[in-house]
Amino acid sequence: MNYVPGTASLIDDIDNVASCLPQTGSIVTDYNKHLVLLRDGRTLIGYLRSIDQFANLVFHQTVERIHVGKKFGDIPRGIFIVRGENVVLLGEIDVEKPCDTVLQQVSIEEILEEQRLQQQTKQETEKVKMQVLKDRGLSIPKADNLDEY
Amino acid sequence: MSDSEQQQNAAQECAPQWPEKGEEWSDVEDGTEMDCGLLQAMAEEDEEINVYNEETFGMDLDSHGTTDGPGDDLQFGKPSPPTPPPPDPKPPSPRRVPSPPRQKPQYLPRTAPGHRGRFRGQRGGLGRGQMFEDPAVMRIVEGRPSIKSLDSAIVDYGSAMIRSNFEYDDSAIVCVIGHRGRGQHLNSSFMDFPYPASTFRGRRGEPRGSFSRRQFGHRGPSQMHAPMAPGSPVFSRQPLTPRQLYNQSGGFMFPPNRPCPSTPQPLTPKMMQLRFGANSPRPSPFYSPSSNPVQHLSRYPGPVTQLHPQHKRLLTQKQRMFQRKLEGWDPYCNLMTGKEKEWIIRLQMIQLQSENPYLEDYYYQEYYRRKEAKMAEEELGIRSKREPPKLTTPYITKTDTYTPVVHIEGSLGQVAVSTCYSPRRAISAVHAVQAQSPHEEQKDTRQQRLEILSKIEKLFIVLLEVEETERMKTTVLSEAEEKRFMEKTQRKVAHIYSQLQHHPDSGGEFLPFLLVSKGKKLVARLLPFLQRDSALNVLCIVTSNLPTLMSRDSDEALPVLYPPLRNVIGGLTFSQLIGLLKDLMSSESLTTFECLTLACQNKFGLSLLYALLSHGEKLLSSGVPLEPSIGDFETWTDVIFQVAGQLSQCSLVEPLLLPSNLLTLFCRYLDKRTVHQLKSNMESATAFLALPS
Repeated sequence: MNYVPGTASLIDDIDNVASCLPQTGSIVTDYNKHLVLLRDGRTLIGYLRSIDQFANLVFHQTVERIHVGKKFGDIPRGIFIVRGENVVLLGEIDVEKPCDTVLQQVSIEEILEEQRLQQQTKQETEKVKMQVLKDRGLSIPKADNLDEY
Repeated sequence: MSDSEQQQNAAQECAPQWPEKGEEWSDVEDGTEMDCGLLQAMAEEDEEINVYNEETFGMDLDSHGTTDGPGDDLQFGKPSPPTPPPPDPKPPSPRRVPSPPRQKPQYLPRTAPGHRGRFRGQRGGLGRGQMFEDPAVMRIVEGRPSIKSLDSAIVDYGSAMIRSNFEYDDSAIVCVIGHRGRGQHLNSSFMDFPYPASTFRGRRGEPRGSFSRRQFGHRGPSQMHAPMAPGSPVFSRQPLTPRQLYNQSGGFMFPPNRPCPSTPQPLTPKMMQLRFGANSPRPSPFYSPSSNPVQHLSRYPGPVTQLHPQHKRLLTQKQRMFQRKLEGWDPYCNLMTGKEKEWIIRLQMIQLQSENPYLEDYYYQEYYRRKEAKMAEEELGIRSKREPPKLTTPYITKTDTYTPVVHIEGSLGQVAVSTCYSPRRAISAVHAVQAQSPHEEQKDTRQQRLEILSKIEKLFIVLLEVEETERMKTTVLSEAEEKRFMEKTQRKVAHIYSQLQHHPDSGGEFLPFLLVSKGKKLVARLLPFLQRDSALNVLCIVTSNLPTLMSRDSDEALPVLYPPLRNVIGGLTFSQLIGLLKDLMSSESLTTFECLTLACQNKFGLSLLYALLSHGEKLLSSGVPLEPSIGDFETWTDVIFQVAGQLSQCSLVEPLLLPSNLLTLFCRYLDKRTVHQLKSNMESATAFLALPS
């Protein structure tokens, strides 16, 4: 349908609006959460409560979801206010869609551990790579994600 | 309770003085001061101030021109205020859950009368112009032109107000800004609200609100408040508490339709956002928040946003769908008030508003126009629910044109009129004509082509302007303007025509342009604007150079010329027609046979031929006296026979349009057999039956 320009298009997404019509007979009990991917790679899931013209978002009952391999873990975070410029993607989670993913949920400790391991291996490979390049007299400057200018 | 006594005392101590030390304004202290005792103290103090103001500045005038009596005082905070009947429509609205915006505005007009008696200094809060609550300022303002008509006032208002929030602590600045607010210009305003809401919300947690209350309370009588929009709090969800009102402006101004609160509520962040960010006064009415655009349209008559009819339709559909939101389930929902939502929508809309969307947002407009034309065609009679989602854009009708440059007769230069659109208008420099080097006899063909292309581009721009004025003409209001537009259009058209006609060192008028596909489009779009003679001239050129045009038409752009040329043909006289046919037959020293063959092999050529013949037939059969020149009829019959011969022999391509009266024409001159043959030949080429010409 018609949509409003810019951030205002999120207005209808606020507060668990079920964007589809309720199924016949039943009352919609599922609320639509939103999923936002941030620039630093974090994934947040929560209820979108408020926005502003810069697409700053206020999330309620936010959960940070960490994915490592096929496992994921949710860390409850509470209320999140996301600055608009850090948003990469924002989307509604369709609760009605059948959830047949291969992902398995694990506990927070486990996922954090997994993440740490992942980071560690990544760093090690990176280090090895840099060393190899250095040996050959090449150097590739590492682009910092946040420093794009 | 000792506690409250203590606090009351504390309040009494602090209240009359301006806290000298910063510590006194600490959070800790303030945090505890939220209760009745203080409230009462504040109320009383404010009353005093009110009385003082009245005495100093006289009676207040409300929007209806009547004055409030001096007996009207702030009444809340008193144990038993003589509450006038709260306005009927009012109570439901603060409790109302979203999707209210469309109804809220209607309360505005109704609340004023009820409240005159209660709230002092309250303006109707209705008209957008009635923003000035400060009695002191009222005096100054009286001499000014009607503010109602100046929408910039509203934005000034907002900006002044926003700024005053930032300079919270300094009451002097607050009051200066408050007074200056009206003088500020529109352009500074709206887009510079950086974070009015968020900055203020940053203070939510800090109970600085209370010292602000004190601050307001202590203002000198002449310096009350930054102007505040009485209209905006209408949309605030919570009922105002006395604290809120103090926050506002020492009680001089407040929303006209607040019911007198009976119990003071703790100061919540929401209340403090009354004036800020989303609750700032509305900017200009040139937009329509999309959530309920239809209703908003009804709210603002006159020079306001008008959505396209299809927009309106789509939006009402959408509304119907979404009105079935379930509410009340979620205790945390509606953190964002309807007012705030509207604000954001407004903000985004303002950025999009344009008086000429067709020009400024051409691709979007054109795309949707075509899409909807296509859908309308496809689903004639069937109401299509699935229409492509469209970005809702505000659409403004241009109300006033202004002459940016005034030229006084006899003066040497132009008087530059400075407006908000062009604060310092530079006198447009005349483009120096590029002197082409006369020495170069032989130019590169490539360079020539480039020249032609660049010329076409320049002329296209002029043509776009012409088309634009044509389109605008339908909405133009005054006759003088229309005449002006006409003149301008004619001048431009003439300019384009002459440019096309005379091209140095390239053979033939128009021809170099017609050889380029964009040039063909240019000519095709120019033709409707040309005078009869000029158009005829173009047609002549086309017909005489038809073989060249056809052979060098690699892009197959010629058909674009067909419709306008057909219209021109429709206005030909018989002799002119004959002349054209002669040209066609003997163009470029090819034999007739060759010409005709070529024509038959080319869509455009064939269609043109058909069009000419069809017109001739129309003329002949219409019975109108033809005034033929000598030899016309002979030429005509010759042409017919030759064409018939050609058509029956060679294979025809499918023409753009097959006029229906051709066969009748041939019937008249030829025998049945030939006609049949012709018919089968022609119709085999065309897949469909001829459309009536």
